[in-house]
Amino acid sequence: MSTTVVSMENVSKAYKDVMALDGVSLRLEQDKIYGLLGRNGAGKTTLMSVLTAQGFASSGEFSVFGEQPHENEKVLSRICFIRESQKYPDDFKPFHAFKAAAIFYKDWDNALALQLAKDFQLPMKRRIKKLSRGQLSAVGVIIGLASRAELTFFDEPYLGLDAVARQLFYDSLLADYSEFPRTIVLSSHLIDEVANLLEHVIVIDKGKIIVDDDAENLRGSAFSVAGPAARVESFAAARAVLHREGIGALLSLTVEGVLSQAERREAAELGLEVGPVSLQQLVIKKTLDAGIAGVPDGAREETAKAARKSSRMGASQ
Amino acid sequence: MNRAVGVAKMQLISKWTFLGIPALIIGVSFAFSLLIWAMIPDSVGTKYSGAGQAVMWYFFGLGIQSLTYTFPFSQGLSISRRNFFFGTVGLFAVIAASISVLYVLLGFVEAATNGWGLQGQMFSLGWVSEQPWGGQLFFYFVVMMFLFLAGFWGATVYKRWQTTGLLVMFISLGILLVGSVALITWQGWWAAVGSWIVALTPVTLGLLALGLAALLGVGAYLTLRRATP
Repeated sequence: MSTTVVSMENVSKAYKDVMALDGVSLRLEQDKIYGLLGRNGAGKTTLMSVLTAQGFASSGEFSVFGEQPHENEKVLSRICFIRESQKYPDDFKPFHAFKAAAIFYKDWDNALALQLAKDFQLPMKRRIKKLSRGQLSAVGVIIGLASRAELTFFDEPYLGLDAVARQLFYDSLLADYSEFPRTIVLSSHLIDEVANLLEHVIVIDKGKIIVDDDAENLRGSAFSVAGPAARVESFAAARAVLHREGIGALLSLTVEGVLSQAERREAAELGLEVGPVSLQQLVIKKTLDAGIAGVPDGAREETAKAARKSSRMGASQ
Repeated sequence: MNRAVGVAKMQLISKWTFLGIPALIIGVSFAFSLLIWAMIPDSVGTKYSGAGQAVMWYFFGLGIQSLTYTFPFSQGLSISRRNFFFGTVGLFAVIAASISVLYVLLGFVEAATNGWGLQGQMFSLGWVSEQPWGGQLFFYFVVMMFLFLAGFWGATVYKRWQTTGLLVMFISLGILLVGSVALITWQGWWAAVGSWIVALTPVTLGLLALGLAALLGVGAYLTLRRATP
């Protein structure tokens, strides 16, 4: 039985005309890496703000390390949450920010911070407000990693980072995590890129949790099958198709469900290629479904059509 | 309370904001005063300079700045609002006290050297320097705390309720002031008010400012408790 770090029960947060969080219930367990996925404005940052007492919920119960976090130093001292739009003191340079973090995090690893700053090619003596978007993200990433807080949130940490720096972040995260396990929540809308890091996936859309499952379960819940269109269609006939992609006479389908051994053999005999499915496709499909479910009947068909169109356009790129 | 001390340390990481700039303002405003005194013929008698208050106005801005920039950062490091408040205001109290001591000491030197040999008066301002040193210290300290907390609270109100908050605050303040003027006029109290103002000493004015500063401090703390970065 693993230890619960965060539990939320029916938590909502209302802004003037939107529900940023709408009846969210969640449990986060110790020493796992969570992906908090969703579109822009889905409620990811609001959720993390509420959990770190930077923001306030309108209703509902939640606890972090078994207690409520607001003004609770015992809980807060174990949390780190540098937001995507984090503000720094006006005259701060990166090394000032790291010095400040070192004061408050008992497990702060300064050697790691310096090493990461070097890897990210972060100018330590330039004012933070003059840094590029990517360098600004790097400051947040370094604080998040080197603080080694028991509960660390990364809020779209890759913004402005180039491909090399992003890979560097993912690698450092995994390396440091395996040495110092802790609970990590990674908010992202670049799903495929972080998919391999995640042990558990939470998808939020319009303030509601629409997926809360193990990454493995999720991946196993669907498969892709590709081959000549007619044969693929007949093979998948009785199944729910999540996504289709066709090029000429060839067709590739993402299909919900699990294949038995016999079915796999059948597919092989038909000359069809069966493979795993990408997390991103699953999440997109589920998000679109959730969106359609919330739309009145007349508009539903339109939305579905638009969704199919956009996913096809996405595929052709 | 350890983390409140941490907040004070964090505010001092960049020495410039809390220490360098105030020192520079005091030094430069004093140097300018000396230069101007030297240009004025001695026959005019005592030459007054109001430059001593320059640094105090900087603290008004500092109150705003320490909230708008440092508060969101402190939230990122998961520091409670309470510790942020006590660390920041506590650090400021120490700085205000040090500058008060400096002003009183410089005032003594000023008086002893016939206004730096130039008949100047910047630190030992007549009205304040008539007080024993304790009264002078108290006055300078309270005025600085008042200005800092005014900026700090104003910025907190903005953080929590944005422009609406500031508008409501200023309109209420306006209503309060105009209302008092109306009340005094209507009751024919102006003569009494006039003699009360004339009778104010730095200590009584300081006590008044202390009351207001305490009010501002409590207001800022309660506002900050539920402010979001």
